[in-house]
Amino acid sequence: MNSPLESAALFQIGPVPITQAIVTTWVIMAVLVVGAYLLTRRLSLRPSKRQVALELLVDTLDTQIRETSGAQPAPYRGFIGTLFVFILAANWSSLIPGVEPPTAKLETDAALAVLVFISVIWFGVRGNGVGGYLKSFAAPNPVMIPLNMLASVTRVFSMFVRLFGNVMSGVFVIAIVASLAGLLVPIPLMALDLLTGLVQAYIFAVLAMVFISSTVEDGAHTPADLETSAKKKDS
Amino acid sequence: MTIDFWGLGLQAINVVILVWLLTRVFWRPVAAAIAKRHEAAQAILGDAAATKTKAEAALAELSEARDGIASERTRVLAQATASAEAAKAAALAEAKTQAAALMTSARATIAHETDAVRAKRVAQSGALAVEIAQKLLGRLPDEAIQVRFLDLLVEAIAALPASDRAALAKTKGGLDLLSPADLSASAKVKITKAVQQALEAVPELNFVTDPDLIAGFELRSAHFVLRNSWQADLAAILKELQHVS
Repeated sequence: MNSPLESAALFQIGPVPITQAIVTTWVIMAVLVVGAYLLTRRLSLRPSKRQVALELLVDTLDTQIRETSGAQPAPYRGFIGTLFVFILAANWSSLIPGVEPPTAKLETDAALAVLVFISVIWFGVRGNGVGGYLKSFAAPNPVMIPLNMLASVTRVFSMFVRLFGNVMSGVFVIAIVASLAGLLVPIPLMALDLLTGLVQAYIFAVLAMVFISSTVEDGAHTPADLETSAKKKDS
Repeated sequence: MTIDFWGLGLQAINVVILVWLLTRVFWRPVAAAIAKRHEAAQAILGDAAATKTKAEAALAELSEARDGIASERTRVLAQATASAEAAKAAALAEAKTQAAALMTSARATIAHETDAVRAKRVAQSGALAVEIAQKLLGRLPDEAIQVRFLDLLVEAIAALPASDRAALAKTKGGLDLLSPADLSASAKVKITKAVQQALEAVPELNFVTDPDLIAGFELRSAHFVLRNSWQADLAAILKELQHVS
């Protein structure tokens, strides 16, 4: 059994080593894009069951974004929805024999965490400007600036570690049980792994939305505003 | 533990590409379809609300029109009833007038026909009486009849005023004595003698045969007629019948 912390390169493209996780990611991307294209080819005002299911998915995502951030879901739908769908597909790809989920590798989860980190900055700047984004670090008061800067890194790091730990551990446990007890014994663990994969995808997407919305909201209020609102709450 | 930063970067690029692709082929189209359906539903709801408002206005208008129709119906019914009553009265009056005219005409026709029938029956009665008289005369002897009618003629002349008798006696050209059949010479002599005695004069007598007399003798001049025949009697009877009926 290989170490889950190491990735062996299948081949090289110039200086870039191509691992199995990257190839699996490409396959998942192709399946998702082609599937999405095929599913959304014939959308009409009189929806079919397929269109209703798609609209239900998008509507549920919009509701989650709206309830989490209180903002209009359109600017965040593409990023948050794709994060959820990709992580879910990657997690559940472990059900295919011989396929190791990309999210069980450090590089994939780290890349997702980096994207969330960048997206927080992107949406913060886009929502409130550079000044507004920088002000978000001074919430609730300027004393918190160092801690907030540290938190902006650690929170995405925690996301990365949480996703990697859950998925990798599931794959690792199933592999150990399968090697020790036989072929059918890991099936309950695989079922549990399905649930874990769904929950982790949901948590990652919701946390990404929470981080983005908190940055946008904090950047929209000055520290004085925040102090005033805190005093009102205390009284 | 080592991190493959090439792999990290490539995976980040992969996810960014996936976000870009799925945004264009999945999230935007489905969201656009939802928005379009929402707009269509809003449009349908708007149309339904407008249609409902229109229907309510039409209903109110219809109710108003129905009330108008009801009052118009009542008015027209009353007008029609009055017109029918007037027409009925006019028709009744006209019918009464026409019936009265018809009755008057019928009465006139009946009276006219009754008169015609009566005249016809009188004529038939006269003819029948003449026929009966002729048949009765046919069964009686001519001598006896002439004697009787000569006696009656003499009595009638005697009953005349003396002035009339004198005027008859002085008639120029003589007197005509009408008999229903030709008389024998002896009968003429006998009659001439009886008439001259009754007139107490000797006027000339011209014997004329007139079968219409049936029986009897009549004495005529230019200005006088002394009737003494069944023809005159029957004519008197017919006149009396016509007068009575």
